[in-house]
Amino acid sequence: MSKKPYRLSTGGTRIDRAARMTFTFDGKDVSGFAGDTLASAVLASGQKLFGRSFKYHRARGLVGLGSEEMNALIGVGSGNRHEPNLRATQIEIFDGLTAESQNRWPSLKYDIGAANTLVSRFLPAGFYYKTFMWPRSFWKHVYEPFIRKAAGLGKAPEGRDPDTYEHMHIHADVIIIGGGIAGLAAAEAAASTGVRVLLCDENPVLGGIADLTAGMIDGACVEDYAIAAAARLATLPNVHILTRTTVVGHYHQNYLMAFERVGDHDPAILASGAPKHRLWKIRADKVVVATGALERPIAFANNDRPNIMLASAVRGMIGRYGVTPGSTGVVFTNNDDAYLTAFVLKKAGVNVQVVDSRSRSDGALVKRAIADGIDVSLGSVISAVEGNLGVTAVKIAAYRKGQGRVITEKRVECDFVAMSGGWNPALHLWCHNGGKIQFDDSLQSFRPKSHTDDIVAIGGANGTMSVEATLIEAQELGKKAKKFKVEEPDRGALESIWFAPATGKYNEGNKHFIDFQNDVTAADLELAQREGYESVEHTKRYTTFGMATDQGKTSNLNGLGVISEATGKTIPEIGVTTFRPPYTPYSFGAIAGAHTGALFLPVRRTPIYNWHADHGAVFEPVGQWRRTYVYPQASEDKHQAIVREILSVRNKVGMLDASTLGKIEIKGPDAAEFLDRMYTNTFSTLKIGKCRYGLMMNELGFLSDDGVTVRLGEDHFIMHTTSGGADRIAAWLEEWLQTEWTHYKVFVTPVTEQWAQFAVAGPRARDVLSKLAPDFDISNEAFPHMSFKQGHIGGYPVRVYRISFSGELSYEVATPANFGQGLWNAIMEAGDEFGISAYGTEALHVLRAEKGYIVVGDESDGTVTPIDVGMEGMVSKKKTDFIGKRSLEQSFLKGPNRKQLVGLLTEDPTEVLPDGAYAVAAVKDKPPMEMIGQVTSTYMSPTLGRSIAMALIQNGRARMGETISFPLEGGKVMKATITDTVFYDKEGARLHG
Amino acid sequence: MDDLHFESALAHRSTPDNLSLSMREISERGMIDLRGSTTDRKFMAAVKSVLGVDLPKAPRTSASWGEYKALWLSTDQWLILCTRSKTTALLAEINAALGKIHSLAVDVSDMRAIIRLEGDGVRETLMKGSSLDLISDDYKQGTVRRMRFAEIAALLHVVEENCFDIYVFRSYADYTWEFLVKAARQGSEVKLFKK
Repeated sequence: MSKKPYRLSTGGTRIDRAARMTFTFDGKDVSGFAGDTLASAVLASGQKLFGRSFKYHRARGLVGLGSEEMNALIGVGSGNRHEPNLRATQIEIFDGLTAESQNRWPSLKYDIGAANTLVSRFLPAGFYYKTFMWPRSFWKHVYEPFIRKAAGLGKAPEGRDPDTYEHMHIHADVIIIGGGIAGLAAAEAAASTGVRVLLCDENPVLGGIADLTAGMIDGACVEDYAIAAAARLATLPNVHILTRTTVVGHYHQNYLMAFERVGDHDPAILASGAPKHRLWKIRADKVVVATGALERPIAFANNDRPNIMLASAVRGMIGRYGVTPGSTGVVFTNNDDAYLTAFVLKKAGVNVQVVDSRSRSDGALVKRAIADGIDVSLGSVISAVEGNLGVTAVKIAAYRKGQGRVITEKRVECDFVAMSGGWNPALHLWCHNGGKIQFDDSLQSFRPKSHTDDIVAIGGANGTMSVEATLIEAQELGKKAKKFKVEEPDRGALESIWFAPATGKYNEGNKHFIDFQNDVTAADLELAQREGYESVEHTKRYTTFGMATDQGKTSNLNGLGVISEATGKTIPEIGVTTFRPPYTPYSFGAIAGAHTGALFLPVRRTPIYNWHADHGAVFEPVGQWRRTYVYPQASEDKHQAIVREILSVRNKVGMLDASTLGKIEIKGPDAAEFLDRMYTNTFSTLKIGKCRYGLMMNELGFLSDDGVTVRLGEDHFIMHTTSGGADRIAAWLEEWLQTEWTHYKVFVTPVTEQWAQFAVAGPRARDVLSKLAPDFDISNEAFPHMSFKQGHIGGYPVRVYRISFSGELSYEVATPANFGQGLWNAIMEAGDEFGISAYGTEALHVLRAEKGYIVVGDESDGTVTPIDVGMEGMVSKKKTDFIGKRSLEQSFLKGPNRKQLVGLLTEDPTEVLPDGAYAVAAVKDKPPMEMIGQVTSTYMSPTLGRSIAMALIQNGRARMGETISFPLEGGKVMKATITDTVFYDKEGARLHG
Repeated sequence: MDDLHFESALAHRSTPDNLSLSMREISERGMIDLRGSTTDRKFMAAVKSVLGVDLPKAPRTSASWGEYKALWLSTDQWLILCTRSKTTALLAEINAALGKIHSLAVDVSDMRAIIRLEGDGVRETLMKGSSLDLISDDYKQGTVRRMRFAEIAALLHVVEENCFDIYVFRSYADYTWEFLVKAARQGSEVKLFKK
């Protein structure tokens, strides 16, 4: 490592020289000061190399000062706390920070992948598209894994992230994006009107590049103005300031998202319980884009060597951190602003000369430089750079605008270059939601034009490069303009330079980088034009120019300039590629917020959930509910447990938590008529205290829900829906009442969650409930199948429905949810002597399938009518109208060859048909085969000791006894005989037991 | 009735000690879902005769009289709050007063879980899961608002300046509790506009 004094003995507004900190970079200890960025501290240590480039693995160093940095992408932290691809210029150091460079192996200095650069003439734009075409199978197994390993950026973290993240909402009258002088002045102006102002800035301190800007405001330097303004804003109750917060996207109706790095810079903050990152969801009436401008590089030969930086970055390194990139520098510019860097360097005792591509400039700064004795070469460019891991010398050549080749050049030894190709307004946020932009000749860049939202751009973001004009624009946010006395140097005009000619033949052996991060050169863009990629969007995709994590922040205009010169079109004619969120990448943690682990998805629990969990329940998701699938006991596997649960219901008694069933109270003078319209069958004839199973269709005549409805009173019903249909059907009922049948006097109140509800089913069910001393007559005569009782069981208030989905004697007992666990316990205890067993949804499904009971969603799929499933008898012929009635008259629903629900018995009773298996008209050697239907439910029935299935088969009911074939994967064919759907207790005697 | 096992939705949860505000389940509250038409004078009068106060007609408001509160849920729906042990009697009184007037009153005391949040920063804590501008003057004492909270439906009642009741369907109680435990964690407090 060099011994050169990169850290100056004085200076550095951001650092505290009294607070030394140590961190590791690529395993080596590096020390810096509090306030340093990883970039400044590493540079101060003498290291220029920060990474290897994406495609050619070229050595790369710092280019920028902040979020525009595209080369120095760093991985921070290790293991499950590793975070890749952070910009070194934004990483604030702390004691114990661990960081590593990326995209190099085995080390940054000796990188095997750098061999790519030796063969780089064979890696032009579109190389991958052109080369890795054949043989096709090689792509997946050879080419892609190789390319993925060689290319790319950082590594993903390992394991679950132990940190927390969160979202936060905020509403503001005005959001100001960017806390530079434009944003600060705008915030003060807006706040003076009393509105709520949100000021967001991506940096740790407000001020933007005030410290890098020449001029005086009211007698103070620009930086002091910014410090004072920030201090004033901090005291205002109607201003909320967010630092380290990047507004990453602007969306419709002035909805914005911002990414706050809460705890990245200080582990103590994380340890105190703060989230690592916070994602702000912002709703603002007015948006002020004060995002400033980004300096652009210049495309000259080998302009990507380490220690070739933006002029503003060099200025900032010295001013903020007291760090200089070297001892002899060349400033290469096409505008006046970069002369400020020359002054700063000279003042810091660094040798500097200026190379200016313009043949003349009348600007005050240029005159001052010459007066100060700085060597200024006007009408010149850098035509070559010597050095690989750094800069050892440059060649300076005479230049006239448009010149393509270098005639004469002189060699100058130096160890860094500060370049400035002008400034691009940071338009990203302006453009995210469709803002229009226009090309500005004096800037040689785009600036905002118009927008449909209530949004303005001010200062650098608006292409306003003078301090005075910026402050005037900011005053527009207030009621009356405040007067500032501003002094700033007159500037000479900028002159665009899109390509600085190089030594020797055109481009040979040299690379003029446009997009550093994606290794796109001027030659790549020209090649794309020659190959016909005329649209800039096509060029972008073909060359990858403007992609990757920096989204073309520094490369955009230079690329357009090259395309312009290659095609003869003007830049506005070429247009720009689309700016998309995010402005800078932000963490998946922030996107997920609190919604990880147990909060990944909302999970609904029944009142008995904890009991289920304590009793070994295997849960299955049913919508957002978790229902018990089966309760395996100590020595059982799932299958054995399911068999035990089924046989317990058939032979003894079982209990199922059916609390998830939808329950809707329906009341009003028109309630009965309303139900007649909603269901295919009739409810107005139902007697009070009786239950009736109903089928519901949608307007198309297709099955949509089913369940038992009970008449509680003359005008009062309670409807049960499927578990999954509870919310949907409640909304469906409301929709018809509110939009179609507004004359009906009916109220509908969903009460699903008020009740814990259990099915107590099996031959001993009555014995169990009797033991709990019901205060109503539970005898078969007084309480027959399909009737309802209200009273108490075991002291608990209950509604009891004698209904059955298992084919056994069965009661559904409902009690208010908070009594659910108590009643469940009481029933389990009472049932113990009768061999009661809790059963889960799988047993439930087998039990109902044995009886041929359908499940809407299994036997139906949205294209199945009640008639298809054999329930024609439940579709009223008498009622004048009900939902779906007319649709059932459509020819294709009445036509031949509808698929009809049938039972299936496999030839081999030990074999279970796969769910969804297709039946074919005739088995052939290979597809296609004519398909005649599919299996809808299929189980091994322990009750029958054989497999059973149901299926929708063309003309199924006319094919009873026919054997049909199910060709399966691997050439196997299963055969099954078509039967009735009721496999067990066909007469239904057990129900009435 | 005394020996019945009563278990509210969050009975198995205890409040962690690292929260920046106080948080507990309210399980002793009775709730009646009441539906009827505000243009039906007989309905409005009958309800008032029992509750002692007019049902609120303005969206997002509530009314209270003694131990009763009526929260506006929609143009024809209210949530009547009372002491849990008196719910059955109150429901019977309401139904008796309503008689044949078209209406629907249902005891829904167990349908929702209620979480009370109290302390400085309660509004900001809730704004971690809600897009509502809860620090604005719209959310004054008595305000009722149905909202999307985290990823579920919830009902919010501003009890006092720094005291909010959050109502969620019972099955989501654990989810809501876990979300709030995370959002209200000490060290993660957010102050907005120096409130």
